[in-house]
Amino acid sequence: MDKYECTACGYVYDPAVGDPDNGIAPGTSFEALPDTWVCPQCGVPKDLFVKVG
Amino acid sequence: MNVLIIGNGLAGTLAAKSLRELDPDLGIEVLGEERHPYYPRPNLIEYVAGRLPLEKIFAFPEEWAARQGITLRLGEKVARILPAEKKVETAAGAVLSYDALLIATGARAALPPVPGVDKKGVFVLRTLDDAHDLIAYLEGHRRVAVLGGGLLGLEIARAIRGRGADVEVIEFFDRLLPRQLDPAAAAILRAQFEKTGISVRLRATTKEILGDSGGVRGLRFESGETLGTEAVVIAAGIKPEIGLAADAGLQIGRGVLVDDRMKTSGPGIFAAGDAAEHRGRIYGIIPAAFEQARVAAANMLGQDKPYGGTVPFNTLKVAGLYLTSAGEIDAEGPGFESLVHSDPAAGLYKKIVLQDGRLAGAIWMGTKKGAAEISRLVALKRDVGTIKQALLEDDFDFTEIP
Repeated sequence: MDKYECTACGYVYDPAVGDPDNGIAPGTSFEALPDTWVCPQCGVPKDLFVKVG
Repeated sequence: MNVLIIGNGLAGTLAAKSLRELDPDLGIEVLGEERHPYYPRPNLIEYVAGRLPLEKIFAFPEEWAARQGITLRLGEKVARILPAEKKVETAAGAVLSYDALLIATGARAALPPVPGVDKKGVFVLRTLDDAHDLIAYLEGHRRVAVLGGGLLGLEIARAIRGRGADVEVIEFFDRLLPRQLDPAAAAILRAQFEKTGISVRLRATTKEILGDSGGVRGLRFESGETLGTEAVVIAAGIKPEIGLAADAGLQIGRGVLVDDRMKTSGPGIFAAGDAAEHRGRIYGIIPAAFEQARVAAANMLGQDKPYGGTVPFNTLKVAGLYLTSAGEIDAEGPGFESLVHSDPAAGLYKKIVLQDGRLAGAIWMGTKKGAAEISRLVALKRDVGTIKQALLEDDFDFTEIP
């Protein structure tokens, strides 16, 4: 599964880690994140993330 | 139609991206004073700390702009805007026409009016070149003073400490993060910092940066005390870049004044990001710059999209600790009541402030559990009189509150 980086603040979403603080279990792919999910570091929406491989 | 954007920071770049998404045929040209393509500014901290390699700083692959049909003119400073002719003149003498112009010039680091700020060894951290300069200087200079105990100052201190330098944070107020924390929470944060080897000096007003032709040698404070240091990093807030707008005769305040469509007083001229002042506010935060850029892009293309302000995302991570701060955090007096649950050794501090039984504010430090929920309850000014004690417990179930 690919990692995605927030183009606004640089936070990297790693599917292996997930975002447990916000109820996202490890192993959740970026595509599977709900549309309401926002960058846990700066708060911008999902569409501002780019794949970093 | 041709759109010109001055500034290739977050607002300028994300506006260009939005414009392209809205109109595949639009001519889009971005003028960036920095010679580097866009990078998220928080990455500078990671870079200085040595946690992020240079090539990973940038948000988009090198060929991104070209592939998007966006003309990037990097390292090109704008000399002036000619609103009557709808043209922009660069410092190199090029004249560019526009149908719509976006001022996304951002902000620069504010410098305190202290003698010696121009000395060798005094730095700010705003651009990638600033970061390069600072890192190079730290190679031979290991004692660093950071002026400013706000969010940026603390992050910089931690990054520099991560490189092995001796760091002291100098704060004018009686506590760190005076905007976000009350004295008790700030004391816990300070202890966490000191554990990592960073010194903290409070209630200190710097009167002079001492030194000679070789560079910085120390600081002299109002109290008469001095501190020996080889480098100084200033983190004393931002100052919007409004010079071009002012020279062009646009209405300015502390920033470039915009209406709810992000339009300035000039024809076809918009502004967004740290340079823009909307309803008296200059946000200086990422989500605001991003929302303003999107709204500006839509309106530049003739849509009618309003901007109603941005609610700051109030959970941050500072020095590895989660911190949520909402509403009145340190109110005293009749009608106010404060309850605290704290575990200093663990860096944990939770506080709620009630006004006549209703939630008026909260601090949640060292944990994110319940942070989003408590902010929401503060925003709603919920009556929590009967459950106020339970709210602070680690296992409190917020779903019990309708």
